Amino acid sequence: MKKLLVSLKKELLLLMSDKVGLLLMYLMPLLLVFIITLVQDSAFKLVNENRLELLIINDDKGAMGDSLINRLKLSGNFAIEIDDNLSINRLKKETLDRKKLMSIYIPVNFSKGIQSNSAKISNLMLTEFGVVDSTSQTKNKKALKNAQIDLFFDPILQENFRLSIMTGINTIISGLENQDMMEQLFRDMGYDKIPDHIRKELIAKQAPINPVPAVEGEGASVPNSSQHNVPAWSLFAMFFMVISLGGNIVKERLSGSFIRLQTIPSAFLLTIWSKIIVYLFVALTQLTIMFMIGIFVFPYIELPQLELPSSIWPVITISVLSAIAAISYSLLIGVYAKTQEQANGFGAISIIIFAAIGGIWVPSFVMPEYMQQLGKISPLHWCIEGYYTLFLKNGAWSELTGSLIFLTLFILGCQFFTYLKLRVQNYI
Amino acid sequence: MDPIIAIHDITKIYGNSKSPSLDDVSLSIFPGEKFGIFGPNGAGKTTLISILCNILKATSGTVTYSIDGKEMHLKEILPYVGFVPQDFAFYPELTAKQNLHYFGGAFGMDAKKVKSRTNELLQTLGLDTVANKKVSTFSGGMKRRINLAIGLIHEPKIVFLDEPTVGVDVQSKLVIIHLLEELNKKGITLIYTSHHLREAEDFCSRIALMDNGKIITVNTVEVLLKENNVANLEDLLINLTGKQLRD
Repeated sequence: MKKLLVSLKKELLLLMSDKVGLLLMYLMPLLLVFIITLVQDSAFKLVNENRLELLIINDDKGAMGDSLINRLKLSGNFAIEIDDNLSINRLKKETLDRKKLMSIYIPVNFSKGIQSNSAKISNLMLTEFGVVDSTSQTKNKKALKNAQIDLFFDPILQENFRLSIMTGINTIISGLENQDMMEQLFRDMGYDKIPDHIRKELIAKQAPINPVPAVEGEGASVPNSSQHNVPAWSLFAMFFMVISLGGNIVKERLSGSFIRLQTIPSAFLLTIWSKIIVYLFVALTQLTIMFMIGIFVFPYIELPQLELPSSIWPVITISVLSAIAAISYSLLIGVYAKTQEQANGFGAISIIIFAAIGGIWVPSFVMPEYMQQLGKISPLHWCIEGYYTLFLKNGAWSELTGSLIFLTLFILGCQFFTYLKLRVQNYI
Repeated sequence: MDPIIAIHDITKIYGNSKSPSLDDVSLSIFPGEKFGIFGPNGAGKTTLISILCNILKATSGTVTYSIDGKEMHLKEILPYVGFVPQDFAFYPELTAKQNLHYFGGAFGMDAKKVKSRTNELLQTLGLDTVANKKVSTFSGGMKRRINLAIGLIHEPKIVFLDEPTVGVDVQSKLVIIHLLEELNKKGITLIYTSHHLREAEDFCSRIALMDNGKIITVNTVEVLLKENNVANLEDLLINLTGKQLRD
């Protein structure tokens, strides 16, 4: 026990002297979680809460252009600037000059296009219902091109945001078209306009969408960017201990310290155990700090608060297993790498690849099938699966089986190959 | 007198190598000796010391140790063995004091004893003024001295010294040799390798000359010089091992 304490003290001193390693292990996850959560949250707010700045040229001669602008304003999603003095030729340049992410050109025939379509559909419907004789259909009406608006966008706008915004604008145009079609229908049936009570019903709200997370149990909250990002980036940083621990082992090996330890009874194994204990402490404090920040600091900077699962023991279990997996992997790299550069380079790149295929950066479900299968070799995949099961799906012990089994096998595999190498080199 | 180390027919073959690095080596070293092992590069000196200190395993053969009349095997002898490798073997990120405290504690010494022994060694080796400085900031000579101090922290009965004075200035060399002489006076057995043959000639009571993994000859310096009719160890080495390069 006395020897273990001495060895632990030495490992702590070595850790404290590794300022870069400490920064990587404690500061990097903080920055990552703050930055990624802020970015994702801002992107969410850009589409859903903040008002996107939109420059509009309305050349439409009818009322539909104005109606479209009014509805865009009413949607609350856009801060609209109208400049009818601009020409469409200058709109591209002005979009960028005025720092707008998007701009819309409403053409001269926008209203006519919508009305023409409405008239055509109304006529077809009335003919179908037998209200109007097919022979009395307006035959000579010149067909107009479909109503179309041009949407200019800053190329930096990512496709998913652009599509999301286009879907929103499309919905508004569809509303306009439907309303115009109903009005046309009533006019064709001899009314001056849609009766007010029907208009009210038509304008009545769309069927609302109630988002309900598909999780076990009652009272589960809707997952937010913190629930995704805090565990994900904490794990990423935890596995980055390979730089500190792996490098530290190579350094000790090359500096001859390991050789001296071979001449001291039981000192080598105690050193390995001390490293495991110290880095387990590091990994768990990393997680604790990150979770604390998610819970207590995020709300003060307008980020969604991290909510811990109701049952804490599964969280502790997954956290400890993830930490031991990260430590075991670092030991393996440290023992097999020939130089510190090799340990740092291979260690860092392998963690980045494990994170990428494991679903830390983008969720696994958006990857092609073969990538999803490949991702299963990544320990980070099973760690994050465990956390998502707990943090997002309110999962129980039984749902953690996959993660627990894989992580245990991964740890045993790494430890076995580490032991093998140390044995061959006569260290133990 | 029983030998403190008795080496019987030790052979070491590395990996897939065809020729052995140690070839049937047998040797006895007696308590209180200052025993030198010399030879050209690749002779097998470091391999032999590594086997004696548990760093390498012999392919065949046995080594037995005897401390105070009690026969011991390799694992049992380790607490009594001090090892001063040719390459620095310490934690450069730690201070001199922290290094000595750690290695003393690793040998199971109690904290009080470690402290007093640390102070004693730092003072003897002229490192007391830099006791709290990181070893990475030390000069070559200071590093060589702390490397030696670590090997002596637990008051071993046998000390293996692989080139303990390589790359140091004259002042550091004198301090190191003086300390080793003092230790030997207390009955500690020293097993020593060096390329400084002049230094070895003065220091060692008995020497073994090695070449190609074999022991060529073992005796006191005086007897060897007389038998081979040469003036110094350098001439003896050239006489017995030839002039061809061994790198």
